[in-house]
Amino acid sequence: MPNARTARRIGVGSSSRRGTILDLRSYLAAEKASVFRPAQALSTVHEITALQYALEKQGRHPIVVVEKPTLANGTTSDIPVVCNLTASRALVAGALGINDHRSAAPIYAKKTGNPIAPKVVSAKDAPVQEIVLEGDKADLTLLPALKQHMFDPGAYLTAAHATTYDPDTGVDNTAIQRCWVKSKSRMSYYPYPASHNNRNMRKFWAKGQDCPVVFWIGHHPAVLMGTQAKLGYPESHWSACGGLIGEPLRVVPSRTFGDKIMVPADAEIVIEGYALKDQLEADGPFGEYTGYSGPQVAAPVIQVTCITMRKNALYHDYGSGLTDMLVPDNMAMEGKVYSLVKAVAPSLVNVHVPAQGRRFHAYLQFAKPGPGEVRDGLTAALAYRRLKMVIAVDDDIDLFDDSEMMFALATRVQWSRDSFAIDGLSGSLLDPSTPAGSKTLSKMAIDATFPLPPFAGAPSPVPPRSKVPEAAFTSATKALAGIDMSEWPTL
Amino acid sequence: MSQSKTNIENIPAGAPWEKTGNTSWTQCPSCKGWFHVGPGILNRPDVKLHCPTCSADFSQSDAARIIKAG
Repeated sequence: MPNARTARRIGVGSSSRRGTILDLRSYLAAEKASVFRPAQALSTVHEITALQYALEKQGRHPIVVVEKPTLANGTTSDIPVVCNLTASRALVAGALGINDHRSAAPIYAKKTGNPIAPKVVSAKDAPVQEIVLEGDKADLTLLPALKQHMFDPGAYLTAAHATTYDPDTGVDNTAIQRCWVKSKSRMSYYPYPASHNNRNMRKFWAKGQDCPVVFWIGHHPAVLMGTQAKLGYPESHWSACGGLIGEPLRVVPSRTFGDKIMVPADAEIVIEGYALKDQLEADGPFGEYTGYSGPQVAAPVIQVTCITMRKNALYHDYGSGLTDMLVPDNMAMEGKVYSLVKAVAPSLVNVHVPAQGRRFHAYLQFAKPGPGEVRDGLTAALAYRRLKMVIAVDDDIDLFDDSEMMFALATRVQWSRDSFAIDGLSGSLLDPSTPAGSKTLSKMAIDATFPLPPFAGAPSPVPPRSKVPEAAFTSATKALAGIDMSEWPTL
Repeated sequence: MSQSKTNIENIPAGAPWEKTGNTSWTQCPSCKGWFHVGPGILNRPDVKLHCPTCSADFSQSDAARIIKAG
């Protein structure tokens, strides 16, 4: 099948991985054929992100490792920057032990739905605490944080996984949330208002306390995918990670907060600190997943207490708004949407959240749906906060091929009959099309499936698709093998 | 545009079918550069704005101009 990829031996669930440590450096070693290490010097100010844009323009998505990034002050960092780690769906699926990225939705839903509690290890068994920088030695400016886009006011941590806990239950929560490095020991931090980390922080502040928080950077993509699981509140991302990787995630008590907040033992870098009670400062503008620069906001301030890291640490950066950041979140969304829709529409077979639609579009695929099932499924998907437009298709349509999706829309939809809009649903207010002052969105569902057969076993009352015999197509494909087509006209 | 304050201009709302945008902009008093700001920070006059071009920090009341959506 096109785009299919054999799962890597390091892949999660592979028996060959048992007993090995799951971390970023082992993953890069296993995937060395997919890693691009630029020979020229690249600056953390715009240039590394520009390389990601250039690669995306070429339709190529290698992992990028910049060994000696040039910092904003002109000096060279000894900490390499790893980016584009998750820009390829095939690579991410392979990291999860999934042979074909197109089958990720049901697998992700199943695995994250079977949590496995983490395993606590001691500090001596935790590589992430090999180097401990406290007091004046804890210096954020040592990290090769990137200034990615025009309008960004400075260098941001974009792959900082912020972990807090609910002070009422002690349950942890993790989310990728941006941090603007403002000085050696101070950064702003933006847990968006609807996030569980924000809820935890507000609880601490309501008790008159600063909120403990740790930020960990750099891990195996399977662990990163586990932290993208869309959970209820309060539910542990450590356990969701364990479910996804098929074994307990190794965690270690943080230096500042002990077992109140664990950190992944095999991460590359950890920053520990407090979100200072009621202190807000300007943060942004910041290039967002929408592909637009998000506005300046009032964000909490982190006072850093400690930085720990591995020897020869790697610094991970997500290209915000690029496939690097969209792919892992969208694949996790596919798992969530699959669970939501499957509960009301058992004939659902697959889900695709395409990067072209940012996080706003989802395609649902059904096989022989019963009466009402497609619309039930569309309505369930629309209720998911992030989605704005959902299209349902039959199982003869490849929902990972936009030309197939357009074919379905062109030939299977009568708009007044087959589309419906619902106003006033929750959604992302970063969408530039939302009316000023609105708190909800207008959403659209499209049923691009064919009508049901009149009785079981009967053909659907529509014309058959034009096609040639499979054998003839195979033969024709063989006739084209080995021919240089590079000079031939494209569409 | 109506003015609720000397340096704040509100973009008037149009008919429901007319697009008016949702982004507010601030002009830095130091470098005169423009940058976009969210409703949350505009509702917090105690939080200083930060110019991403020249790094000046300033209060809303000191902004050269604020064009407010919504």
